[in-house]
Amino acid sequence: MILALTVGVVVAGAVYLLLQREMVRVVLGFVLLGHAANLVIMAAGGASRRGEPLGAEPDPALTADPLPQAFVLTAIVIAFSITMYMLALAVLGRRDDELARGDAADDDGPDGSGGPAGDESSAHDAPDVPARREEVAP
Amino acid sequence: MLLPAVLGLTALLAVVAPLLGHRLGRDAGWLIAAGLLALGLWLGLAAPREGLTYELPWIPALDVGLRLRLDGLSLVFALLVTIIGAAVMAYSARYLSKKAHSGFYGLMTLFAAAMLLLVTADDVVVLFVAWEATTFCSFFLITRSGAPAHKPAVRVLLVTATGGLALLAAVVTMSVRTGTTQLSAIVADDAWRTDPGFATVVAVLLAVAAFTKSAQFPFHSWLPDAMAASTPVSAYLHAAAMVKAGIYLLLRFSPAMSGVPAWHLLLIGLGITTALIGSLFALQRTDLKALLAYSTVSQLGFLVATIGVGTEHALTAAVVHTVAHALFKSALFMVVGVIDHQAGSRDIRDLSGLRHYLPVTTTVVVLGAASMAGVPPLLGFVSKESMFAAFLEAPGPAWTGPVLGALGVLAAVLTFAYCGRMVVGAFFGPPMRTTWHHDVHTDDEDASGHGEEGEAHTHPGGPAPASPAFLAPPLLPAVAGLGLGLAPFLLDDLVGRGASGAHGAEVDVHLELWHGVNPELFMSAAVIVLGAVLVAARDRVDRLLDRPLLPYTGVGAVEGFREGAISLGARVGGLTGSSAPARHLAAPLVLLLVLTAVALPGLGGLPPVVGDLDAGTDWVLFGIVALGVLAAVVVRSRIGALSVVGTTGFGVALWFVALGAADVALTQLLVEILTVVAGVLVLRRLPAAFGKVRRARAAGSAVLAIASGAAATVGVLALTGRRELSAAGEWYLREGETETGGTNVVNTILVDFRALDTLGELTVLGLAGVAILVALQARRALPEGEPGLAVGERSPLLGADDNAAPLRVLARAVGPVMVVTSLWFLLRGHNAPGGGFISALVGGAGFALVYLASSTDRGARVKWPYLALIGGGVLVGTATGLAGLADGSFLRPLHAYVLGYHFTTALVFDLGVYLAVVGVVLVALNRLGGVVPEDAVPGAGSPTPGTPDRAGDPPDPAEPAAGTGHRAPAHAARAPEEVP
Repeated sequence: MILALTVGVVVAGAVYLLLQREMVRVVLGFVLLGHAANLVIMAAGGASRRGEPLGAEPDPALTADPLPQAFVLTAIVIAFSITMYMLALAVLGRRDDELARGDAADDDGPDGSGGPAGDESSAHDAPDVPARREEVAP
Repeated sequence: MLLPAVLGLTALLAVVAPLLGHRLGRDAGWLIAAGLLALGLWLGLAAPREGLTYELPWIPALDVGLRLRLDGLSLVFALLVTIIGAAVMAYSARYLSKKAHSGFYGLMTLFAAAMLLLVTADDVVVLFVAWEATTFCSFFLITRSGAPAHKPAVRVLLVTATGGLALLAAVVTMSVRTGTTQLSAIVADDAWRTDPGFATVVAVLLAVAAFTKSAQFPFHSWLPDAMAASTPVSAYLHAAAMVKAGIYLLLRFSPAMSGVPAWHLLLIGLGITTALIGSLFALQRTDLKALLAYSTVSQLGFLVATIGVGTEHALTAAVVHTVAHALFKSALFMVVGVIDHQAGSRDIRDLSGLRHYLPVTTTVVVLGAASMAGVPPLLGFVSKESMFAAFLEAPGPAWTGPVLGALGVLAAVLTFAYCGRMVVGAFFGPPMRTTWHHDVHTDDEDASGHGEEGEAHTHPGGPAPASPAFLAPPLLPAVAGLGLGLAPFLLDDLVGRGASGAHGAEVDVHLELWHGVNPELFMSAAVIVLGAVLVAARDRVDRLLDRPLLPYTGVGAVEGFREGAISLGARVGGLTGSSAPARHLAAPLVLLLVLTAVALPGLGGLPPVVGDLDAGTDWVLFGIVALGVLAAVVVRSRIGALSVVGTTGFGVALWFVALGAADVALTQLLVEILTVVAGVLVLRRLPAAFGKVRRARAAGSAVLAIASGAAATVGVLALTGRRELSAAGEWYLREGETETGGTNVVNTILVDFRALDTLGELTVLGLAGVAILVALQARRALPEGEPGLAVGERSPLLGADDNAAPLRVLARAVGPVMVVTSLWFLLRGHNAPGGGFISALVGGAGFALVYLASSTDRGARVKWPYLALIGGGVLVGTATGLAGLADGSFLRPLHAYVLGYHFTTALVFDLGVYLAVVGVVLVALNRLGGVVPEDAVPGAGSPTPGTPDRAGDPPDPAEPAAGTGHRAPAHAARAPEEVP
């Protein structure tokens, strides 16, 4: 039950952060969500057997399921690399890492409905040289 | 082998054609024409009466095969495709401009090959593939004619691809119902008689497919629209390819459809309608090419109605008319191109008395038009008479025959009228006396430029005759129409074989010019007399028809559909088109909650919980994690949030320890460290604090968060911990050491049992590293912020170099230890906590320490080729896998004992893991931490192509030549601290 509660708390925190405006918060939410998912996988192996799957002839009655552990191990490293990638995205391009366009007043409004294509071509495409110059300016 | 040889050679020709077109320019047309002609003649002369079959397995599991069959019907169409194709190719050799034409010839030959496959396919799947291939070939051929042709081409594609979908539906329905995909077996199946529902559905689907392809009402608009293509393309499209595919389909399925009411109704009703409106529209047109386009629509209507009648005579008539139409229509289209070239216009209103200047051209037009109008003694007369006879045999109530016959006569009268109008209007009357400039028209050229060079076109006093080489291709089919009209018995054998294929039983054909005095003769006479009246009164007819006949046009309807579909797409896209991530991220969360709510009532009757899931100390872990999460949610400072999330990560790592997962805990711990280090590097470029969260957003997020958390808890409580050790887990525990020689079960799973998973994960990992590089290369990162320390200008706190001294000393001492530890973890991983992932992360932590110990980013940059590390890691992993093939399976570890020590290639595989992970960590540290890379600054040196792994590195001190001249003095001074 404690493990389940832990998962619940981490998921709640992750969801809250995911729904915020700043990319860094979204990334942190993603990190937390990764933790929660890993704990769920561990729980799926069963929390009652906690012996380490090491050494010669581990006792299956007492030893933890090694398969979820292998899954989680690689999942952690992959989540790490994705986190790095998302952090890189957080510092690309604009003034800061706020993801909603425009002012705080309309960030819940249908800001993208006017034409995402226009948005993207100005915000995400590489060859907008004037925008670059502006960014380098102190 | 004849059949696959001919098809294979045609395909080969399609491959060679672009090269020929490139080397020889337009003259390549003659070579390709010779090739097609030879293949056609070979097929025609060598094909035995009983037909040919060939089969090559394609998708045996679905019983789909590359089945080919050449019966009489296929032969007729195959001859049209190759011989008319040859004429059009020869014509192109003089029509096109004098430059390279690789694309045109390539596509045209491919078109011919696709048509040939279509008419010889004996498998419905192959038939469908060939059908779609012709659709695409025609689309690309039309778009080649430049920007004005693009919209028509898209409309053509829309209409014909819709028909392709109908054919696909028919193919699926037929193969499911009859249990085979073999075309001849499907046609011969009993289901057509015993299952009227099935027969009706397929009849409608096939009819729709054929109607779109053969431009039948209401899908007729694409064919005149496709006039945007160049003249050779139009000639082929109208005479032998594309539109004839629909006719072939109808004829091919006629034996099965005989007696299906929907089939006869659709084909006769819409066919004769098309014949009427097509001829009426043709009569309205003054552009010769447009006139011919509508005449094709009309003639195809005649054919479809005739096939709809479906009797032995009707099918024979349809085959004869298919041949006749191919001959006169190819001749007429090609000759319109000649007129356009020589006279500079193809509008009847501009042309007059051309017979004085262009005698051969006039002959071709007169022969072609007379054949189309059904004037004796041309082949068109023979075929039209037999179609009239067929109309009178129409199935159904007694009145259908006469009514259909009357409508046919009416359409034929209009046909005669537009044919006469074309001949009289352009070729008779007073001679033209204008100076013609070839450049007045542009829409009829191949995309690559104009046609014939201007030598003959600025000819004062009237157009000059075209060269014999230009005139021969249209002349030959026109003369053939005359010859075969005079001696129609020459076609008896071929048409008989074709009609037998369409009828499903042997048909004996005796074609004759003179049928004796019978109803058809009177019908023909009526057509000629009434048609002549309309030609004589053509000025009055023109005035009468010079207005829109319908309130809407087919092109308008298709265009409306196209634009409607696009705007609907934009509207649907607009619903979700937001750049606010919360909008996108909330949707799946809400969906998950809905799923939870739906699933909750069904949670009764779960198996009991096995064992004691909780240990008292777990509460401590819960507390650590919960505190970290709570702090992460409320904290306003960016760096604070990063730290507390790191705390949560440590808590989770402790959880892993508690659950007996030492390897996982180690991994988590190391990843947490590296995440915080990289995160700090990133945060320097961002404001210190997050923005204020508006109350509404906070409340909404909190509600969703708490609900999601509760759902997750319920899910874990309900769905985990309720079984014994999994069978797989137990097997790994018992057999792991025996199978692999390793005692760290988790590691053996990673590198021995499930190495393919790991290799895949390695690749994902590597790609993430590459993506970071690419993203930061393409877009510049935000500039670094000022530290903002509230200290004086001379405060020692600002001396980065001095401040880094303690860490530098530490790093010097700890660095080697970490390297050794890292290698030790790698080597022992198979038997104790460690392995590639963990050891690489330890190494990465070492690099992080070195990074932090230096006083500037530039000095800290570790000059290792990280892309090479990532690629090398994946390569090592893959190579190990390939070595495993020696033992019979990809990635199976090989074992060897050297001097009593156990060696396994699993260790080498783990080395691959090590390299890739180290590479990614280095990418993250260097690229996120580094100042704006020099190579991204315009003018300050650019990455050398071919060595991308070095692109991000500053110039190596050892290689002065590679430098960019921007080397900071501090850089050289600090070189000793850099990791070698």
